[in-house]
Amino acid sequence: MEPLSFLKRLGTMAGLVLLQVLFLNRISLFGYVTPLFYLWLIVRFDSSMSRYSMLLWGFVTGLAIDMFTATPGLNAASATLAAMLQPSMVKLFLSKDRREVIIPGRTSMGAGPFAGYLFLMTIIHHSAYFLLRSIPLEDWIVITAKIVLSTLLTFIAMLAVGYSADKPNQRRSI
Amino acid sequence: MRSLLDFIVKKAHAFLFILLEALSLLLLFGLNDRQKLAFMTSANRLSGTLLEWRSEVEGYIGLKGENRRLLKENAYLRERLLSLSDSLELDMVSREGGLFTIARVIDNSVRKDDNFITIDKGRSDGVDQGMGVFDSRGVIGVVGVAGSHYSVVLPVLNSKSSISCKVSGSSSLGFLEWRGGDPYRATVNDMPYHSVVSAGDTIVTSGYSSAFPENIPVGTVEKVEQQRMSYTLTLTVSLFVDMSDLRWVYVNTMRPDPELDELQRQE
Repeated sequence: MEPLSFLKRLGTMAGLVLLQVLFLNRISLFGYVTPLFYLWLIVRFDSSMSRYSMLLWGFVTGLAIDMFTATPGLNAASATLAAMLQPSMVKLFLSKDRREVIIPGRTSMGAGPFAGYLFLMTIIHHSAYFLLRSIPLEDWIVITAKIVLSTLLTFIAMLAVGYSADKPNQRRSI
Repeated sequence: MRSLLDFIVKKAHAFLFILLEALSLLLLFGLNDRQKLAFMTSANRLSGTLLEWRSEVEGYIGLKGENRRLLKENAYLRERLLSLSDSLELDMVSREGGLFTIARVIDNSVRKDDNFITIDKGRSDGVDQGMGVFDSRGVIGVVGVAGSHYSVVLPVLNSKSSISCKVSGSSSLGFLEWRGGDPYRATVNDMPYHSVVSAGDTIVTSGYSSAFPENIPVGTVEKVEQQRMSYTLTLTVSLFVDMSDLRWVYVNTMRPDPELDELQRQE
């Protein structure tokens, strides 16, 4: 699978931001659970991208979402953190040092490692998001519930999209 | 020296990371609430058209219930008009400008710690900060920031919202506030200890602030608690308005009496 061009990435970002602010932000299961699916853009950063551009893409995506929620800086901070850690997380789950350019996915990493990678990325990003949002940290039970349940929902959604996006023997990109 | 330069070049992305994080945290904790809302209104100007499309689609889905509500309100207003026509006429003539502006809710949340509503009217329609927003059922909130074509409303379901209200038919005043959680209930705080109030009483706006006229319904008293420390009563109120189901609202664009406004500012 080819890495995304600048314009394609910009289009994906716009689509994910709109999906997030128009629909996903309105989902609030049990008052706790909001999927932050825009993280998909960051987990799919390919290994040919420079660290700078990863950080800037993450920051801009987060800030774009913040503009709709009167929380400037909240998504920007957590998305930048996710973008910073993304390359190390990919390395952590790759079986051997790979020289070729890879986009993290089921075919490039293997189903198990990809799921592990997605889960770790999601929990890091969501922890940062809900901890920052809940300052001063008063009600730990509620904060933990929000982190765990939202992580699960985002993780399952990304896993479903990730698995259907790159089935082996079928070249289709999202 | 060479190795120091090498180190900096190698780790330059870490500096960018720190810079971006610092910028994010500065935005998050350095801006006051008004600045944050202004940030949001500018975003909503960009997304206004999209949000309007969505609310239009959603509007069709809820059309039946909306019609029924309007019919009910019509009947009630007709009745009021008949019984109050004399005094109402006098009242309207003495005020300048329009009474209420009709706006459509294009974005709304109820499940967050601090909720916001976006409406499709702004300064160019006479909507301004501090104006009360309500619908046929009762009080919704107060305009927090008005952009030129869109405004962000702080609903009752926002920790920053505080609306002056009273027990219907009496003069006991209190402030309608929200502690988070249940989107159907709010509390009225600081009501004088001696107030005569019991479960089932209706809470309405006091008319003492310029945001709302008097007697806009708020909700029904569910529980009365005595605060022994401060000698006040705290009322749990079941709100009349289901905040998750908002479509058309009225904004109280009546200009406040400048003299009253001036006096209140001096206090």
